[in-house]
Amino acid sequence: MTEVISADAPRGAPPERDILLDVRNLKTYFKVLDGVVPAVDGVSFSLRRGQTLGIVGESGSGKSVTAMTIMRLLDIPPAQIDPASEVWFDGREILGLPMDQMRRIRGNEMAMIFQEPLTSLNPVFTVGDQIAEQVALHKKVGKKAAWDRAIESLTLVGIPNPERRVKQYPHEMSGGMRQRVMIAMALSCEPKLLIADEPTTALDVTIQAQILELLKTIQQRTDSALVLITHDLGVVAEMVDNVIVMYTGEVVEQGTVEEVLVEPRAPYTMGLLESIPSVEKRGGRLSAIKGVVPSPFNLPPACRFEPRCPYHWERCRTVPPELYLSGPSGRRARCHLHTPEGAGRWPAALEAHRRALATGRELPVHDATPGDA
Amino acid sequence: MSATVDHGLAAPKIKGALRQRPPRGILRARAILYGILALVLVTVGLLLVVSVLFRVKGGVDLLVEIWPAYIVAALAYIAPRGYRDRKLWAFGLSLVIGFVLVVGAVVMSYLALVPGAMGGTAAGSAAPGASGAAASGAAASGAAATGAVATAAPAGSAAAASPLASGATGAATTASGTIDGNLAFGLITLALLFLAFGVPLLWGLIRERSFFLAAETRHPIKTAQEIEAETGGFAEITPVSASGSGDTAPALGLPSPVAIATGAVDPLVSVRGLKKHFPILGGILRRRVGTIYAVDGVDFDVYPGEVFSVVGESGCGKTTLGRTLLQLTPPTDGHVVFDGYELADVDPDDMRPLRRRMQIIFQDPFGSLNPRMPVSDIIGEGLLAQGVTNRKERDKRTGDALEVVGLRRDYSRRYPHEFSGGQRQRIGVARALALSPDFIVCDEPVSALDVSIQSQVLNLLLDLKRDFNLTYLFISHNLSVVEYFSDRIAVMYLGKIVEIGTVDELYRNPRHPYTVALLSAIPIADPRRRRSRLVLKGDVPSPAAPPSGCRFHTRCWLRERLGNPEICATEDPALRPMTGDAHHRAACHFAEQISESAVAETVETQDVVETAAAVE
Ligand SMILES: Nc1ncnc2c1ncn2[C@@H]1O[C@H](COP(=O)(O)OP(=O)(O)O)[C@@H](O)[C@H]1O
Ligand SMILES: Nc1ncnc2c1ncn2[C@@H]1O[C@H](COP(=O)(O)OP(=O)(O)O)[C@@H](O)[C@H]1O
Ligand code: SF4
Ligand code: SF4
Ligand SMILES: [Mg+2]
Ligand SMILES: [Mg+2]
Repeated sequence: MTEVISADAPRGAPPERDILLDVRNLKTYFKVLDGVVPAVDGVSFSLRRGQTLGIVGESGSGKSVTAMTIMRLLDIPPAQIDPASEVWFDGREILGLPMDQMRRIRGNEMAMIFQEPLTSLNPVFTVGDQIAEQVALHKKVGKKAAWDRAIESLTLVGIPNPERRVKQYPHEMSGGMRQRVMIAMALSCEPKLLIADEPTTALDVTIQAQILELLKTIQQRTDSALVLITHDLGVVAEMVDNVIVMYTGEVVEQGTVEEVLVEPRAPYTMGLLESIPSVEKRGGRLSAIKGVVPSPFNLPPACRFEPRCPYHWERCRTVPPELYLSGPSGRRARCHLHTPEGAGRWPAALEAHRRALATGRELPVHDATPGDA
Repeated sequence: MSATVDHGLAAPKIKGALRQRPPRGILRARAILYGILALVLVTVGLLLVVSVLFRVKGGVDLLVEIWPAYIVAALAYIAPRGYRDRKLWAFGLSLVIGFVLVVGAVVMSYLALVPGAMGGTAAGSAAPGASGAAASGAAASGAAATGAVATAAPAGSAAAASPLASGATGAATTASGTIDGNLAFGLITLALLFLAFGVPLLWGLIRERSFFLAAETRHPIKTAQEIEAETGGFAEITPVSASGSGDTAPALGLPSPVAIATGAVDPLVSVRGLKKHFPILGGILRRRVGTIYAVDGVDFDVYPGEVFSVVGESGCGKTTLGRTLLQLTPPTDGHVVFDGYELADVDPDDMRPLRRRMQIIFQDPFGSLNPRMPVSDIIGEGLLAQGVTNRKERDKRTGDALEVVGLRRDYSRRYPHEFSGGQRQRIGVARALALSPDFIVCDEPVSALDVSIQSQVLNLLLDLKRDFNLTYLFISHNLSVVEYFSDRIAVMYLGKIVEIGTVDELYRNPRHPYTVALLSAIPIADPRRRRSRLVLKGDVPSPAAPPSGCRFHTRCWLRERLGNPEICATEDPALRPMTGDAHHRAACHFAEQISESAVAETVETQDVVETAAAVE
């Protein structure tokens, strides 16, 4: 089942009813002193109601900016959203909505969870006040009802003694507890879409397990759709239905989680999977992706992964690859290996990938070339 | 030292003792001896001034008469020289000085208080004190007494203008036998002064006698130079890997179990009963209101060539363990033996060659480098502390180190902010490596890095380990990295080791419920192996108030499954050997009850929503 990614619908037309979120050719730039940062550079994806989408990529690949653009939380300027970009949410195009209408949607129909809850919770109000205020704003209920709703949502996320906890301030809680409060707040208005940006990155594995299991359970219970942003392929594997992989602001691969993680088609995804330490690789070296992510001011001319790609050839330096179809079920990868010109090279690349997955031993010693600072 | 616990580890072999920072009693003894020295010098100075400026008759004579004081002063100067090396002669000499002072005090009190005691023997003598003492049969003490009559006179007498006259001439004129009040007062004052010096001196020496007499002193005491020579000194680091050595050369690993069991290899690092407690200060007076038991009694050995990992949730004391082990913060209790040398209380000067051999790499590549220092200074700092004062030599070593970690030599002129996260971590590695260490504590070296950069740095660490025969203590909370990277693992929970064993033992057959939960929580990047996790309840409790009995009992799924047995909350389980292998140990009363089916059943029945709170 991979019609997740909408084939380019005619511009301006709403997507079919079942698709909750449809992002089309999203481009977000930052104008800074040194030049223009193409933080998100033509990202498209769609998400069905009740489904889960994972966005993976290393830091700086544009995951957070994508989420913030959808939520319209970016300050414009310095951010600039390309006028041709479209985000369809629940049948409406929201990038063009007036801000006051957007505010009615945000926190109500779509909600976001951040990596560090301390920065998004207000330190001078109790968590109860904050949740109740949001409920009162969106649901037009009385003070008492809003307060009860706050307690109810804390109960929903498994916080013990919710009657006592609502009166606490964020700093009185542990990291895991604050993340639960964030989730409670996000869920308090029963949103249709929940965007979680690295919700467990700052937490210990044991607490991460708590939060992920909680998110899973609650999502099933409330039937909301979830966009889970993370750099951890393990988290993605456990949590989501579909994945997009991002690199320097572009989507380099998309498909179901089984397709992308078991049979990756973009060399970047292949490299990420190869570099995961595993027990099979003990005693040998890990296969590392060489070099570093290029500076956004100095992107390679064609394929942005070319300087780090073990399979590159001349074409990769001259022709920018598109998101080519790379599998039977409509999955895509941004790589020339999936064009007729590169098809001859694909078997060898696949073979090298298989070897590197099994053991890192056979890779050259100096794959750790540092890029210039 | 720490209580004897059965940790199944052999007593560490000691190659030699290092000069230690002396205990407090000995430091006080040294201060007293220097005090005596100072007093004598001041007195002589005053005497000179008085006799020359005021032309007091007999001043110079007195200077000569008090010759015994000079001897005592000389001894007080010499004795402390032998303290750091724990020399017996230093101990003896100090004792003698102490006795002299006390006996002198007794003699003087006798002279002052018993009428006629002075008269009979001292008639006509120019040195009344000396003869009095000679009569009592303790020549040495008397001599000291005489000296001190003079030394203490300025302090004791109220008549500032001619302080000596009252004492010295007074003594001379009482030859007839009746002692005058002035002299008696002087003598008593002096006797008290002698006691004030002598008693604490003797008390401290005798109480801390083990410092000089204990069995440890039987080990040859070594100096920094000797240790440096023994280890071949400060080796050059030649950029082996940069020249591209074979890629399949096996990295050193844990010595074979046989070699360990037969004692063919000695541990490089032995940690015994190590504790580090931090005070919690509160109130306006900043008084101690509590204690954080950050590390609370850990025992383990690290063998040369292995990667020994420490895992556990944050706040379990991993960082503190690493820092305390390296003596970067003094332990509260317990000891660390590094390559045959006990590190506790080592004299800072003598610690230098050992300090060089033990380095640390920090987690945060952003916070651990001083942003105002160029890379050359960041790396050069340690070299300078090791006595590499030659700038050229330092620059060469810095360049070598940078090259070895895969950076360019000329990066040494840049500042930390000019580098990416991975590069900064490489600089941290270069800083440690520049000192050609044997042992490196890696405190979460890759936790802050992206996956692709993380594997680069792990590869680098493995290469360096192979090329420079390094041994790592690898601290991490990432259990997949640890499984790939290490030979043996210790799982820490609230300051204690709850399970220890080889990677195979721990990952295939975990024997502590906490280890089981940690392993279950690892997210695996393979959707085909998607499974339900065993989820622990709540957060790690505060290390300031660790739970009673088994510290894990508030979150333990096994205890809950077994119907909350009482013993878990009352008795701290010992880290005991598991059947099959004596080196695999776990601290759980019910370790044998752990099985795959037990875990599976627990996963089935757990309520993942109500995991926020630990029971109780
Ligand atoms: N406010 C901003 N001003 C300028 N550049 C920004 C800003 N926010 C993000 N960026 C840039 O956009 C790129 C993508 O950032 P981000 O979406 O935060 O990455 P990710 O979340 O994948 O780690 C990065 O290169 C980052 O430097
Ligand atoms: N210098 C210090 N003063 C007071 N408490 C400290 C200090 N260093 C660490 N601690 C406390 O000791 C405990 C263990 O900390 P740490 O060793 O950093 O754990 P870990 O590295 O496993 O996360 C924590 O509760 C921490 O707050
Ligand atoms: S297009 Fe070329 S350089 Fe880019 S990922 Fe594919 S093979 Fe590598
Ligand atoms: S001793 Fe009891 S509480 Fe502790 S780990 Fe074992 S079963 Fe759990
Ligand atoms: Mg981000
Ligand atoms: Mg730490």
